[in-house]
Amino acid sequence: MIELRDIRKVFNEGKPHALTAVDGVSLVLDARAVTVLQGPSGSGKTTLLSLVGCMARPTEGRILLGDREITSLPERFLTDVRRRTFGFIFQQFNLVKGISALENVMLPAYPLGEHHASLKKRARALLDLFGILPRESSKAEWLSGGEAQRTAICRALINDPQIIIADEPTAHLDTKLSREFMDIVGRFKAEQKTVIIASHDPLVYGSPVVDRVITMRDGKIEAAGR
Amino acid sequence: MGNWFERQRNIIDFTLSSLVRRKGKNLALLLVYALLVFLLASVMFFTHALRREASFVLQGAPEIVVQRMSAGRHELIPARYLGMIKGIRGVSGVRGRLWGYYFDPFSGANYTLMVPEAFSHGSGDVIIGQGIARTRLVGPGDVLSFQRYDGTPAILTVREVLPSASELVSSDLIVLSENDFRRFFGMAPGLYTDIVLTVRNAKEVATVAGKVQKLLPDTRPILKSEILRTYDTIFDWRSGIIVVILSSAVLAFIIFAWDKASGLSAEERKEIGILKAIGWETSDVLLMKFWEGAAVSLTAFLAGVLLAYVHVFFTPVMLFEPVLKGWSTLYPSFKLVPFINPYQVATLFFLTVVPYTVATIVPSWRAATIDPDSVMRS
Amino acid sequence: MILHPAIIALVASSVLISSLVLYAVWYGVRILHSWDLRSGSSLQLDLERRTYLISTVLAYVFGFQLVSLFLLIYTADSLSTLFTGAMCAAGTFNVNFYGYPLLVVKIVNFLLAGLWLTVNYADNRAYDYPLIRKKYAFLLFLAPYLVLETVLQVRYFLGMSPDVITSCCGSLFSVNASGVASDLAALPAVPLQYAFTASMAATVVLGIIVVVTRRGGCAFSFVAGAAFIIGIASLISFISPAIYELPTHHCPFCVLQKEYGYIGYIFYATLLGGAVTGIGVGVLGPFRSVPSLVDIIPSLQRRLAVLSVLFYTSAGLLTLITIVRSNLK
Repeated sequence: MIELRDIRKVFNEGKPHALTAVDGVSLVLDARAVTVLQGPSGSGKTTLLSLVGCMARPTEGRILLGDREITSLPERFLTDVRRRTFGFIFQQFNLVKGISALENVMLPAYPLGEHHASLKKRARALLDLFGILPRESSKAEWLSGGEAQRTAICRALINDPQIIIADEPTAHLDTKLSREFMDIVGRFKAEQKTVIIASHDPLVYGSPVVDRVITMRDGKIEAAGR
Repeated sequence: MGNWFERQRNIIDFTLSSLVRRKGKNLALLLVYALLVFLLASVMFFTHALRREASFVLQGAPEIVVQRMSAGRHELIPARYLGMIKGIRGVSGVRGRLWGYYFDPFSGANYTLMVPEAFSHGSGDVIIGQGIARTRLVGPGDVLSFQRYDGTPAILTVREVLPSASELVSSDLIVLSENDFRRFFGMAPGLYTDIVLTVRNAKEVATVAGKVQKLLPDTRPILKSEILRTYDTIFDWRSGIIVVILSSAVLAFIIFAWDKASGLSAEERKEIGILKAIGWETSDVLLMKFWEGAAVSLTAFLAGVLLAYVHVFFTPVMLFEPVLKGWSTLYPSFKLVPFINPYQVATLFFLTVVPYTVATIVPSWRAATIDPDSVMRS
Repeated sequence: MILHPAIIALVASSVLISSLVLYAVWYGVRILHSWDLRSGSSLQLDLERRTYLISTVLAYVFGFQLVSLFLLIYTADSLSTLFTGAMCAAGTFNVNFYGYPLLVVKIVNFLLAGLWLTVNYADNRAYDYPLIRKKYAFLLFLAPYLVLETVLQVRYFLGMSPDVITSCCGSLFSVNASGVASDLAALPAVPLQYAFTASMAATVVLGIIVVVTRRGGCAFSFVAGAAFIIGIASLISFISPAIYELPTHHCPFCVLQKEYGYIGYIFYATLLGGAVTGIGVGVLGPFRSVPSLVDIIPSLQRRLAVLSVLFYTSAGLLTLITIVRSNLK
């Protein structure tokens, strides 16, 4: 369970071009459910997602992860919480170019100091699970859209996170691949993982695996969808 | 501890592969870096080897040389001083020396003429240094002609050419008999250029020198240790001057390195953003940057030092030779004995790697503190 | 001033490092002034990022101090030919007033930078940065010493004028500068041997007490600090004559040379290492009861104590081997 209390996030605080991206949001997100944040671009859903995912600290308000208050944790510890709790799937996948699919999957685990061989074994098992093991040594830029997507998903899963966060995951995918992605989300749900997605794609928020759709506009919640 | 080690290893792995991926950008930096190390290392290796060479030559030199001074200038010393010095307690041997310079208009160079303690050849014979043999194209058996002080010609037969072992000092040397020498310069029999003494007990050198000056106030005793010291200073000073001149190059390099390190391409920026987003922490990225700097520095440093080593000790072309040696127009083409010590390497390290590291700390830190959510915001 | 490449290297890099530290101090002051972990303001986020920079700078300073200390000694050694009466680094450091103070300040700075990093290490492991203000106050205390070192170094080298042959006469009648080494060596050997053995034994015993009972950190730290000073004094008084196999040669610098297998580096490294880790135990002591450090400091203290004991026992063993194997009796 993730609880947000009166969250505000202001960029360029105190300057003329200050921007309030999230403005007083209070919300409780259930564990082991699929939640979609929906809204037009600039509505603050991505910022809210980054706050939930411990990527940034809110300007005001508190976030509780389970019963732990994470708002006042310094970056060092926030990162530690983040990499053990969350897996991220980004718009355009954001794979690192020039290195192989396998290395991309292993990348998040490097700083954790796992033995290289055992890490490699786990990464290959994940690639196998998603049927792209034959492509393990291909450079990221040579992967097809579907392969890149699945590599990105493997990368999100390498540290075995409890919560998966996806930002506009279908924005650059065709219908077939988008449906495939939602099937994978269904698998996550079956494995008791929490999934939080920001998307304005009807294919995503209309999908039967989604438990709850939250609509945002201008940094505020318009409909909490419960 | 195993955990710590694996973390380093994983990050080093990734750093190296990233460096290889960005060959183009790093190659330019690496080249400039290695060139700088090469220049500085060449200067240092060369002067250090010269210093060793000079002190090696001076090992056989007498402990004290006594010169007569007149009106603040070096003057010929009368032979009667020999006897007076011999009477000083502690002096075990005294000898008058004859030496001088001759300007040779053919080669445009100054030769050093010297009478040895015991000359193995007869009147009219000479032994010459390699430099003279080279410029005048003569060898044993050939004849050399010079002009005496009064304009009359001196025809001398070359009997030997000195071995090249210590060419730095002997390159421009002509060794001849006392008789020939006196006729050459028109020097009266009762005079010498200077006097050398040997002292029985090395600890008494300074005392003896003091007594000489007291006894003969118009002389100046010069100690071997002082000559060595002066050589050391001159060589240090020369290489120091070059280092100061090259410091503008170091400064330019620092600015270049700073610029390279802070001018992250959009792709690198994005890559670090991705790393931070998927769970790398600022100190992980800093660690990566540290290893990146270490790899670049190590490669450039080794390459530069190695090239300089080959350049100074194994190739004839010497970039700074005229400045660093230059006491005669007859440059000796001697081979230096390859020599390198940890001290030189440490000094080089401080002249190059430390400035580079300092220049990259702030840019690396800036790169490492890219916000993790930057990938999501773009 | 002597234009020697190593002098240029030392002066230039210490000026660079000092400016870097002053830059760090500037942000240290801002952290002291406006740190508020509970705030998510951009100022606080910026300051938190700065802490990474300052830690990095100090880590480099620490490494720099260690290497430059030896480069300084080595340079002094190679310059000794330029001064009458100076046989090695010991004489060169004595050519003017600034030499020995410079050396002492350099060693102190190494220890201080090491202690700062120890505190920083502990603080970074607590989720609420409990020592942040103390740490940066410590930085403000440390910075002047680093600047002082640069100033001393510049003055030391600027004040050097080599005794070279001048146009009027030889320099041999200039002031005879010998006699330094004898001053340093005048320490009585036998009492020091007892003191050395006692300090090593005390370090080991108290170290074991710290590791087993997790108490006595302060006493251990004090003994470890004393062992460092006694160790250096012993090196001068009776260890180096054993290395040189000459009863009259007490120089603490010649042991660093190749002729003696660079054995001096091991002596200094173990003594310096033992001092930093040993004193570190005591410096951390007062913070054991900070709630967020309760789980961190005792184990860190134990690890430091173990390291310190290992360093000092190596120094002790090395001394024993040196003296036993020496032909000097």
